[in-house]
Amino acid sequence: MAQIKGQWADSYRQKWTWDRVTWGSHSVDCYPGGCPWRVYTKDGKVIREEQAGVFTPIEAGVPDMNPMGCQKGACWSELLDAPDRITEPLKRVGKRGEGKFEPVSWDVALNDIADAMLDAIKDQGSESIITLMTPEFAAAGARSFSDALGTPTTDGNAEFQDFSPGFHLTFGLYNPVASMDDWFLAELTLIWHANPVYTNIHWYHYVAESRYNGGEVVTISPDYSPSAIHADYHVPVRIGTDAAFSLAMCKTIIDAGLYNKKFVQEQTDLPLLVRKDSGRFLRGNDLADDDREDQFFWADENGGVVTPAPRHTLAAAGVSPALEGTYQVMLKDGNTVEVEPVFQRLQRQLENFTPEKASKICEVHPDNIRELARKVATRKTKIFIGWNSGKYYHGDLMERSMALLLALTGNWGKKGTGTRSWAAGGWDGMAFMADKGMPGQDAARMAHQARTLMRRLMTMDDPTRTLEQITNHVSAMNPELGGFGAMIPPAFLWYYQYGYKERWNNRENNDPSMKRSFDEYVNEAIDKGWFGSYCSEAYRDVEPRVLFESGGNMLRRQRGGQKLLLDKLWPKLKMIVSVDFRLNTTGMYSDYVLPAAQHYEKLGQSMPSVHHLNWVLTDRAVPPPGNALSEHDIGIKILEAIERRAAARGMTDFTDRKGMTRALTGLVAKATLNGAMRDEEKFYDEAVRDNAVYGILPEGTSLATLREKGYVRWTGWGMAGHGESQASTIKADEVHNPLRWHTEDKLPYATLVRRAQFYIDHEWFLEAGEELPTHKETPPHGGRNRRFQMTSGHNRWSIHSMNMTNRNLLNTHRGEPFVFINDKDAVSLDIINGEHVKLVSDVGETILQAKITPACRPGQVIVYNGFEPFMHKNWYGQADIEPGHVKWLGLAAGYGHLTYRPTSWQPIPADRAVRVDVQKVA
Amino acid sequence: MGTVVPSKRQLAWAFDLNKCIGCQTCSVACKVLWPGDDPGTEQMWWMTVNTQPGRGTPRDWESMGGGYDADDKLQLGRIATEEEIGGGWNFNYDEVLHSGRGRDVHLEKVSGSKSWGMNWDEDEGAGSFPNAYFFYLPRLCNHCTQPACLEACPNDAIFKHADTGLVLRDEEKCKGAQMCRRACPYKKIYFNKMRNVSQHCIGCFPRIEQGVAPACVRQCPGRAAFVGFLDDAGSIVHKLVSKWKVALPLHPEFGTHPNVYYVPPLSPAPLHEDGSFNAAGQRIPPDYLEKLFGSDVHGALDVLRSELDKKRRGQDSDVMDALILYRWKDALGHLTRDPAEIVWK
Repeated sequence: MAQIKGQWADSYRQKWTWDRVTWGSHSVDCYPGGCPWRVYTKDGKVIREEQAGVFTPIEAGVPDMNPMGCQKGACWSELLDAPDRITEPLKRVGKRGEGKFEPVSWDVALNDIADAMLDAIKDQGSESIITLMTPEFAAAGARSFSDALGTPTTDGNAEFQDFSPGFHLTFGLYNPVASMDDWFLAELTLIWHANPVYTNIHWYHYVAESRYNGGEVVTISPDYSPSAIHADYHVPVRIGTDAAFSLAMCKTIIDAGLYNKKFVQEQTDLPLLVRKDSGRFLRGNDLADDDREDQFFWADENGGVVTPAPRHTLAAAGVSPALEGTYQVMLKDGNTVEVEPVFQRLQRQLENFTPEKASKICEVHPDNIRELARKVATRKTKIFIGWNSGKYYHGDLMERSMALLLALTGNWGKKGTGTRSWAAGGWDGMAFMADKGMPGQDAARMAHQARTLMRRLMTMDDPTRTLEQITNHVSAMNPELGGFGAMIPPAFLWYYQYGYKERWNNRENNDPSMKRSFDEYVNEAIDKGWFGSYCSEAYRDVEPRVLFESGGNMLRRQRGGQKLLLDKLWPKLKMIVSVDFRLNTTGMYSDYVLPAAQHYEKLGQSMPSVHHLNWVLTDRAVPPPGNALSEHDIGIKILEAIERRAAARGMTDFTDRKGMTRALTGLVAKATLNGAMRDEEKFYDEAVRDNAVYGILPEGTSLATLREKGYVRWTGWGMAGHGESQASTIKADEVHNPLRWHTEDKLPYATLVRRAQFYIDHEWFLEAGEELPTHKETPPHGGRNRRFQMTSGHNRWSIHSMNMTNRNLLNTHRGEPFVFINDKDAVSLDIINGEHVKLVSDVGETILQAKITPACRPGQVIVYNGFEPFMHKNWYGQADIEPGHVKWLGLAAGYGHLTYRPTSWQPIPADRAVRVDVQKVA
Repeated sequence: MGTVVPSKRQLAWAFDLNKCIGCQTCSVACKVLWPGDDPGTEQMWWMTVNTQPGRGTPRDWESMGGGYDADDKLQLGRIATEEEIGGGWNFNYDEVLHSGRGRDVHLEKVSGSKSWGMNWDEDEGAGSFPNAYFFYLPRLCNHCTQPACLEACPNDAIFKHADTGLVLRDEEKCKGAQMCRRACPYKKIYFNKMRNVSQHCIGCFPRIEQGVAPACVRQCPGRAAFVGFLDDAGSIVHKLVSKWKVALPLHPEFGTHPNVYYVPPLSPAPLHEDGSFNAAGQRIPPDYLEKLFGSDVHGALDVLRSELDKKRRGQDSDVMDALILYRWKDALGHLTRDPAEIVWK
């Protein structure tokens, strides 16, 4: 083409030149992440990045994944020299929160930090060193001391409630999810408790494209959400009533005979028999002393004979399990009891949820309920769900009701069906590095064999145990064994030490069916050892002394608010450390802030997520500025400091509350395989090569091969993470859909009853009337008489608060925290668009700018989260008006799959539908 | 006054408003690449996405005039004020993070518009709950076939590039007269006070010269953006615009013959008064869409609906298959080169 001439043209051309291109991505807690970018460097400085768009198609007839990325990624490089960037270790010199710091050397900082840790061990025990978790992959390396010392890491999933309790109750699994290209194959997509237009920018297109492919899209949300605009239907369900809506669809489907009987019989507990006298499942040890407590029964609809439901398979073996009828069974004591299938009990329960009755609860027209039910029953249906439902007080009931809808319609375990959420895996190479003992892939191979053998041994007492069940079992051992930071469910720590005891015992804020005081449930859970003494009882006595944060921002995210933390927790702490590339609100309240390398300044990978099934490299394009270091290096430096200070103080080891003696020597040697993995590049290469040995990546994968192509697709799940929870085999030329080991191979589920479980006969659930999915109103947390309910979700412009302060991104919205208010509500409150308002609940208040829209439901206010507290006047943000309540049933355990595993079943706080008032700011 | 010399070929953009999710990746990609941190460009977003209905950016731009009247006579409208363009914000980072004043100060704007931003009315829309409605509208320079800016320029600085039809500005000739800003009916031209030149989208010509698609298209994660020569029968843009007539220009009545086209938005079924679905109803008032895209919008929506219906009945649809975009590179027309392959000497 003809040359465009002129100096002006050349100056534009000059802007688009570079001297180096590297692979980049963002190793942040973005989901699913996995976007391959090219990072362009000129004169030793990263100038910009652009999506690589290099994914090859997977399945014939399904669109490719390109060009994954978003606006945040498109200006990430600006954060490398942003005003909040930290490049030197900072020591606090003013009061906590004032923000007065002075730069110090790494040695000064780390000696002080190590001394505080050693003091804490002497004073309160090693349990008083609290490490906070964040799923930001890049940040994990700095926390390696907690692994080495076995000190607790509080389970992040409790802090940010990224958990689907109802799906856990149903499947016993951590979030089975399909790969994102599978969404194209859905015939009906229900966007429900999710806002993918904001939160799944890089793959929302599959939803739009499934619609163009002949599918329909229905968005179910209280507001006319941005994710409703491209739907065929919007269902404006009243806040917190989704269970009623879903159960009414279930009722419609059963009454119309549209349910998939074979699927229900085979995959679910609905045919299992329940004793009418106790409401408990009929169990093997009801019938004979030597039979199993976890043997369950069904009746053959041909003849009514009651037989044990096989534990080793879902296949019915010649029985056609009855879904209805009442049967007599003689117990071991000679008494006879009546039993009936769960399905029959469910039908009675659903009498409360006819479309007409449910409509009065959820405010959805009965005809709409019937029409949608019919669609679900006749189409390959997916529920596009996020982690919104689990953040409701009764989110478990909502999710169980949604799972029931899919069960009745046979909508999981085949392409184009199921639910979505968050699941990641494939980090075995990093997680198991220290366990190898020596460098090299032979060592990896041997360690892998040892782990495989250990798993095999776990079938000795029960040969019917599946891989999923073994994986869960191993995971449940983590809090006791340590490893991966010895994760603990933090509810007990919060309860006794962070000041939540008073709040959680406020009856007003709990469900009326909570029969006893919260305290009684906590004590019972501890006394019965449901969460292990280490996790639960310890914090009756142990006061936290050291708080270590890497990549997180506790003072923004902790539901319940800063006031509680600063009043109750902060005074107990002798040392607060924030490792980050930037100064955030928690950093401002820390004693030391340690400067971390940014992405593009260190080696890493984007979120290794099941949604895209790729290992995506983010390479070091430039070195970190000043004295910033990669978290890998920071982690090792901390270990060195602990060894150094322990030696100087004559401390060689300590004994923790579990009675384990742990050395304060040789920590670096173990973590680095005697120095061989000291170098970040060597460590990363080794982890990738080991992943190839573990079958997660193709044979021969190394850092060098990744640098050629930028990514590589997984070949297997590995053992760390949530891979095996997917219960499907990865195929090279197919989209991934989970649970196919169950639907196709008939392997049992990882629940107590070994089927998708809708009936939970745990005594607390029976007491609460929640043995079956039902609807309950959200308790009036925040204040019974307050006019509005606040809902929330991730915003469009940042990954939590991480890049919220990016100037360009701030310019793409209001540039300050805001709240959506319905237009008519605004009129009644005399509030105009753009003015500042105060949101007030019983526990606090926050000031935001009002944004007025008819898309917001009357009576609803929407505050998208992620704003830094220091962006609000007085620094009180959204979390400060959330009481941070947890539903007491989260403490229920000692029941099959209701047991604590990291990132899994545990008490999680509710922050949705908090009652607030909206006030004008004078 | 400049004279329009028609180009040999015309590069055109198409945006599928049923896939656009308002994420601003196009806006940010453009901002980072071109204006960047250059002094005087603080308010410049050559690419913007706004929620419609809405006042957009600059605020109420549609009523500022410009373009051609029914007799093809050039109209000089008015220039948007800095306040109307909005944004250009910088913040008191230093004061909050380094002054040691703790909670006495919080992060707030210290420069720029007090009352507007490039995406100020994001996700507000119109209607009345539960029948609210809105959609996203990405906008850049329309690289018009009859560019009013070109004709209005007293310094002959604006020209239509012969090979691509891009409307470019010779910044050495530009004297900052800003007649172009008055004449452009889309108000997509900005003024750089520091350099005393106006600036607008350059169509990513340095990329196009190298066979690489414009950043706004290549970086669109919604796969809603297409680029290609209008006369390239193989390009999706050509098919959408000329063959299937499902992509339409914005405000054709402005008379400049814009070369950015839009697949108009469908919307969810509205609800009747009693809350039941009104499957035959249209949530976005057709009149409103006609105001934006002209009367052809009804035909375009009919085609979309009937092609969707074909797919739902299990039949083939070339229109839907093109919009699905099985292979992303097909959106890029002839501009499929991977920029990372380029090695600058």
